[in-house]
Amino acid sequence: MIERPVIQPWSAKIVAIRTQIIISALVPAALLGLVVLLTSIDFSLALIAIFLPAQLLCAGFVGFKNFNKRGVKDAALLVLVYFFSAMVFVLLMSVLFSVIAKGFGAISPHFLYENNKYVSSTTTLEYGGVGHAILGTLLIVALTTIVAVPLGIAMAVYLTQSQAKHLGLVRTVTQALSGLPSVVSGLFILSLMPVLGLERSGLTGALALFPLMLPTVARVAEESLKLVPADLRLAALALGAPNYRAFFQVILPAAKSGIITALLLGLARVVGETAPLILTTNANNGTNLNPFAGGIASLPTFVYSFLGSGYATSQQRAWGGALVLLLLVGVLFASARIFGRTKSLKTKSKGKKK
Amino acid sequence: MAKPENTGVVAPERRKLVSGPLGKGDKWFFRSTSIAANFAFVLVGLILVFLFTSAWPALQSQGLGFVFGSKWSVEDGSKAVMQLGPMLWGSIQIAIIGIALATPMAVAAAYLIVYLLPQRIAKIATAMIDLLAALPSVVIGLWGILVFTPVAVHWATIANQAFGWFPLFAVKDPTAVLSDSPFIAGWIVAVMIVPIITSVTREIFTQLDDALVNGALALGGSRFSVLRRVILPTAAPGILGGILLGMGRAIGETVAILYVLQLDFHINWYQILEPRGGAVASWILARFGEANKTEFQGLMAAGLVLFIVTLLVNILANVIVNRSKAAR
Amino acid sequence: MITLPTASTLSAENISVWFGQRQVLENVNLTFPANQVTALIGPSGCGKSTFLRTLNRMHELIPSAGLAGSVFLDGQDIYGPEADAVDVRINIGMVFQKPNPFPTMSIKENILSGLKLSGRKIDNADELVETSLRRASIWNEVKDRLGDQALSLSGGQQQRLCIARSLAMNPKVLLMDEPCSALDPGSTRRIEETISELSESMTIVIVTHNMQQAQRVSDQTAFFLAEEGTPGGVVEFGRTEDVFNTPVDLRTNDYVNGHFG
Repeated sequence: MIERPVIQPWSAKIVAIRTQIIISALVPAALLGLVVLLTSIDFSLALIAIFLPAQLLCAGFVGFKNFNKRGVKDAALLVLVYFFSAMVFVLLMSVLFSVIAKGFGAISPHFLYENNKYVSSTTTLEYGGVGHAILGTLLIVALTTIVAVPLGIAMAVYLTQSQAKHLGLVRTVTQALSGLPSVVSGLFILSLMPVLGLERSGLTGALALFPLMLPTVARVAEESLKLVPADLRLAALALGAPNYRAFFQVILPAAKSGIITALLLGLARVVGETAPLILTTNANNGTNLNPFAGGIASLPTFVYSFLGSGYATSQQRAWGGALVLLLLVGVLFASARIFGRTKSLKTKSKGKKK
Repeated sequence: MAKPENTGVVAPERRKLVSGPLGKGDKWFFRSTSIAANFAFVLVGLILVFLFTSAWPALQSQGLGFVFGSKWSVEDGSKAVMQLGPMLWGSIQIAIIGIALATPMAVAAAYLIVYLLPQRIAKIATAMIDLLAALPSVVIGLWGILVFTPVAVHWATIANQAFGWFPLFAVKDPTAVLSDSPFIAGWIVAVMIVPIITSVTREIFTQLDDALVNGALALGGSRFSVLRRVILPTAAPGILGGILLGMGRAIGETVAILYVLQLDFHINWYQILEPRGGAVASWILARFGEANKTEFQGLMAAGLVLFIVTLLVNILANVIVNRSKAAR
Repeated sequence: MITLPTASTLSAENISVWFGQRQVLENVNLTFPANQVTALIGPSGCGKSTFLRTLNRMHELIPSAGLAGSVFLDGQDIYGPEADAVDVRINIGMVFQKPNPFPTMSIKENILSGLKLSGRKIDNADELVETSLRRASIWNEVKDRLGDQALSLSGGQQQRLCIARSLAMNPKVLLMDEPCSALDPGSTRRIEETISELSESMTIVIVTHNMQQAQRVSDQTAFFLAEEGTPGGVVEFGRTEDVFNTPVDLRTNDYVNGHFG
């Protein structure tokens, strides 16, 4: 574990300096508040044109007073780092809060299980929901997972267990594949469909998600397999194990949580994909539990189509769908982190096993 | 036998030493996983072959004009003109704007996480950035059109009023609503690539030799000079790789851009506030629903071009990132 | 009662080792007679651990590894065309520098893991577990908690568990790569006692940095040295008391008296 370097030009934490810093942070904020309240100036304009220069000036002054010239540069660096980081934070929060706030208005119990069969663009929110889209998404993604996860893990196994010479090339291609534009994945399946004699269905949607999920699973699984100490594999081989037994009995159990993380992150990667599904599946307002025939709804395409229609209730439905999608991604993501955390085997002590 | 030194006996030959599969089970194990791993090549090959086959008629009839021309008219089936130029340029333009906006934010966030925040909060911040990366593009698009666009239009108007004399911020009709512009699309893309650049930069920062950073500090370096003279020079290639990864993502982005950009075949070279621009991926999705057979082939060709461009950008990016990681 | 195998004689002839183009060992000839403990000593980087790994074909797991020469187990070349790496490793056990019990298995499962991993049937598992743990003199400490995770043991116990895990395979030869370097003095002493007991039923080769340990446990000692820019090799090999008390080579004398390394 690499220790965080402690860089502290302010390390002489004299109270005076600290007070100065606090004041230098408060003054520009107060100035901003005053200007915005008293004049009709636009807030974001004031932020850039008044707050940021004032903040730079104040911090620079404090820096200069205490550390001369280098204090000015350090102060400017800190102000800019905090300013830009705050922008990232604000953007993320803005996305999350709009989806949660606006989506919450659309969500009700029936929204979660009803389908859209009798819903038009102007139908009120008392009717209809995303039930069919949730089921559709689950079916499509499940189909993708069944193929992509074993294959991705097998790729990771090859990348970590074998000594083949072209491993670097395999890794590069896999990584490059993870940048595959999702719309291209959809087009690829479209061009493949006549050859395979497939009609648009949940299956073709699942196929279109497959090239997107595979590299994610392979990469995360490879990373988690790499985390298993090389010693364990050597110990197993030294006991006369062939490679496959060493893998299945020693390495895989030790990497279990990482493999589950790979699965979850792979799911999170494709569950919100829109373009490939628009290209390769037909919409459906009703529930379709057969992924091999007929139109099938999915959460992303649900959001996409309701946003497209422009009416206020449709937009609300889109927000509702987006919230459900966000929750789905959030749950996958959170469980991936929880599983990822139990990676350290040293502290694990389970109850008695037979 | 006290000193077994060279007794003049000819040394035995060096053996060929390979740790091959140990038994039948191992053979199957390696064979099947090797098939899986090599499937990556098969997949890339299949995508290229199938897209190319479907796109061939369009490529043949349009020639080089497909990439460099700027006209898309398909009503007259036999005389269809499909020239992707403005969309291609638009994709690149949006990617550049996105990178210009995202890079300062991403590098700042990475610096904050690695060097300024206490470890516990840094962990939370990292998780939040990763979550941003996991947000579906349709959700960002929804936010982009309904929440962000009104704000960004405001920004665009102010920028136009203040810097309209500068060609980059000029628009044809200053009274028009400055929505649906490459500027806004660039912001949307920036939101998506900030996490990509941040996570690569953060990794490189954490891998930086502590001794290097501390050594520079011990020599009396200030925070700024350490960043400028030690951290950035060492981390620069990695950050560049991260930027290229973000570029790949930006060029391939489809749904979110479709919401916030007016796709137009009058090429818009640099007026980023003007409500017209292009994006190959979004164009494919926009036209797909009503495309006839000829146009469909044209869209396949567009997909092929998009695939080749992103593949090259991504391979380059990964090579750079891997090399700068391995150098640590 | 499980019958113990008879110990075997292991001999290395003209062993040279490469990593890629770099030669790290040249022309090593050593014989490890049955029931003897041989210590391999020498400064870091002299190739003694690498040499140890050639003795049970663990060396070839490193991608660029190269080898010349032969290793004979009771007269049979373990690198010969008919030799099988799995059989070799079953007959020649190995204990690593850092204790590495399998973290997902219980103590009992760890003992039986070798048989499972090499795909052999397990008859009277309980008896085998007890015998192996007794031979590694850890039975009394763990007999009531055989179902516990192996990582719940202390470092010294983990290392003895790893020894027991190797013993369960009934190896004819046991290779130990600095088995005590990560352990406290108490655990070290107990493992040294175990080594002495084990030598009654097997041949033992132990790499150690600790000169006192070499003198305490071994019957014969080989001193490895790699002089600057040249591949490593054996400088002196003989009875342990001879190597330490009346070394023939000046460099050995300097090393065992702590003048370098």
